Amino acid sequence: MLQPNKIAFYLLFILLIPFGAFGQGNEIDSLKNELKGHSTMDTIRAGLLIELANKLTYFDPNEAIPLMEEAISISEKTDWALGEALSHRQMGNLHYVLGDNIKALDQYQKALAISHKTNDRQLQSSLLSNIGNIHADLKEYDLALENYRSYLTTSQEMGNRADEIKALSNIAIIYNDTERFEEGVSYLEKALSLSKLEENDLFIAAITNNLALAYKKLDENEKALSLYLEAAELAEQINNKYIEASALNSIGKIYLLFNDYDLAETNANKALALSKEIDAVEWQSDSWEVLSEVYEHNRKLPEALDAFKKHVQLRDSVVNEEKKSELTRKEMQFKMERQQAVAQEEIKRQQLVKNGYLIGAILLLVFSIMGYLLYKRRRDALEKRKLAEFNAKVAETELKALRSQMNPHFIFNSLNSISDFISKNDIEQADDYLVKFSKLTRSILENSEKKWITLEEDIELMKLYMQIEGLRFDNKLKYHVSMDNSLEPDNVLVPPLILQPFIENSIWHGIAPKKGGGNIDIRIAKDGTMLKYIVEDDGVGRSGQNREEKKTKDSYGIKITSSRIDIINHLKNTKGSIELMDKAEGFRVEIKLPLELQF
Amino acid sequence: MLEAIIVDDEQHCINRLQKQLGAEAPDIEIIACCKTVENAQQIIAENSPDILFLDVQLGNQTGFDLLAAMKKIDFEIIFTTSYDNYALKAFKFSALDYLLKPVDKDDLRRSLQRLRQQRGLKDTSKKIDILFHNFKEGSETSKRIAIPTVDGYTMLDAKDIIRLQSDVNYTNIYTSAGKKITASKTIKFFESMLEGNDFFRVHKSHLVNLKFVESYSKGKGGHISLVDGNQIEVAIRRKEELLKRLT
Repeated sequence: MLQPNKIAFYLLFILLIPFGAFGQGNEIDSLKNELKGHSTMDTIRAGLLIELANKLTYFDPNEAIPLMEEAISISEKTDWALGEALSHRQMGNLHYVLGDNIKALDQYQKALAISHKTNDRQLQSSLLSNIGNIHADLKEYDLALENYRSYLTTSQEMGNRADEIKALSNIAIIYNDTERFEEGVSYLEKALSLSKLEENDLFIAAITNNLALAYKKLDENEKALSLYLEAAELAEQINNKYIEASALNSIGKIYLLFNDYDLAETNANKALALSKEIDAVEWQSDSWEVLSEVYEHNRKLPEALDAFKKHVQLRDSVVNEEKKSELTRKEMQFKMERQQAVAQEEIKRQQLVKNGYLIGAILLLVFSIMGYLLYKRRRDALEKRKLAEFNAKVAETELKALRSQMNPHFIFNSLNSISDFISKNDIEQADDYLVKFSKLTRSILENSEKKWITLEEDIELMKLYMQIEGLRFDNKLKYHVSMDNSLEPDNVLVPPLILQPFIENSIWHGIAPKKGGGNIDIRIAKDGTMLKYIVEDDGVGRSGQNREEKKTKDSYGIKITSSRIDIINHLKNTKGSIELMDKAEGFRVEIKLPLELQF
Repeated sequence: MLEAIIVDDEQHCINRLQKQLGAEAPDIEIIACCKTVENAQQIIAENSPDILFLDVQLGNQTGFDLLAAMKKIDFEIIFTTSYDNYALKAFKFSALDYLLKPVDKDDLRRSLQRLRQQRGLKDTSKKIDILFHNFKEGSETSKRIAIPTVDGYTMLDAKDIIRLQSDVNYTNIYTSAGKKITASKTIKFFESMLEGNDFFRVHKSHLVNLKFVESYSKGKGGHISLVDGNQIEVAIRRKEELLKRLT
């Protein structure tokens, strides 16, 4: 048995073009005149263009295309979204009529996108339907279903029952085309009950016919037969010969299955007559097929052969048509696939470019961060060094300040002594003292500028100082300086006059109050990485002084020395220290400084 | 008997020196005391003294002005000054004698002793030349030095000295002309005189003119190579400072 053409069996509800599309020539002429009189590029002109193009759809679609291009451009310029959407839809219709499904689809999609701005649900609904139809034509069933479902939802929301029925029917057709007959039946039943509510006989007839086919596919022949009969009857009532012929052919085929050849023949003949009336080749072919089988059974072999020939002939012409459209479809599909491939390629390329940019951006970011971190590390290190240098500078300045602070202290002590000589009228001694004092002052002035002097120079200064003080105390003071053999006094560097306040202390508070004079013993030794000074006297010691004196006079020079050692510790990162000790007789000071060598 | 003139703008300084000379040097006769450059110039021309005690600061003029005005200097000079680092350095360069005020009688005695030993060597005008040269040439590099040697003085341009090497209490000075001069002063004396004039003490025994350093090679302290082909050891503690000066 020959596989029947599906297209021939299902009656599609495709509402592409409003029925009024088949306009009369004079209507078109009057619209053209109106357009000539209205050359302003406004929405009125755009509206007229759309109307004219609509009338031209089947009449002269090629002439209508430039009109739509103009309408689109005007609508865009005037921001008339509805006009733009309508223009695109009309453009789609024109392409569809011209057989270019792809372009039509493109225009419908554009129209749909713009229609969202207008909130015109009816427009959207019609577009969804059209888009679904084209997908169905292209056998892209999933996409067709998707659009039909949107179409259904929209029509339900709008309460447009006619559209709802069309949507349900179209969904059913897709299901049946993909041989999912149960779903198909259920959608058709829904459509049928709605059609009955609407009392739309055409719909009822067409849907009943489709339902019958579905049941036949499900091998429910009895049910199919009764539905076909219903459809044929109703079609006859509303004088729809197309549906009637289709239904009658189907009835004939079922009777063949039931071996009721007479009834089969009657129905087929009736269908043949009807289909000849409406020039429906496909139905004629079907009728001849049924008749051929009937004749064969009735042993009217020449008639049977003739009928079969006619069937095949007509079928072939249908199939040829079908083949042609199939070919077009295939071509379209190929075009579309190619387009898609190109688009895919473009997307891929763009993705690649995008990825390239992304990678570039990431690399840039990484490099920037790395660069910044390196820069920051360098900057931090630099800042740290600067800070350290600054701190050192501050410390140096402080040290200098402390050195210059000590000089006046000593100077005034000495001036007191000179004054004392003069008041005692000892001119010779006063002069001697003065000359030594000026020498010492000169040395101190020179050396106090220096951070470090050699131990040799410092010892000379100490000796000179003690000589001067010795003069003052009538040579009651004896001193002794000794040094480790391991020390090279011209190579060891010391901060100038660091011992002076302690020697002064020993002289003024240890030896001066002591009857019969005293000794100062200075020892300098190496103690690991440190230089150790020991200043010892055999004076009266701290116990011999009254508390007030000890507190006020001792503290000044010692405080300064202590600060100096602190700063040296800070600069050199060492542990210099001062230690004061009371002896049974006298006083002992131990000072530790970092051992600095010149070479 | 030596004839001396004292030039000082302060009467108490004249008095003090007169008194000290009277006590310390009975063989010196003070024939005049002057307070201004003009007066001194005239008195010196008239009397041609053996010794001049010359104060550096004379009102708003200086003792150098007086010397510059003299046609010839055929007398010994002992400068006197209170505190003038710049002048002291200049004296050291030119090996001229000086006394610091207030004058210590021991220092005076030593100066006079030196003067008696050197009298007749006719070095004084050369030393004065150096003094004036150094004053005229403001730049530190073209300083001239009078180098005390065992038998007198050798005059040298500081920029001609490549290096100085300590030899106990003597110092050997090596010049770019390939000469070696043995000075009767310690290296420390020269260091304090020359420091700041491209000279750097790279080692306890070595004072080097950095202008003649050809290269530095790393090491504990490292070595420097001089243009005359000599390699000089650098003390560890001087390395950092040296590299700072070289770069």
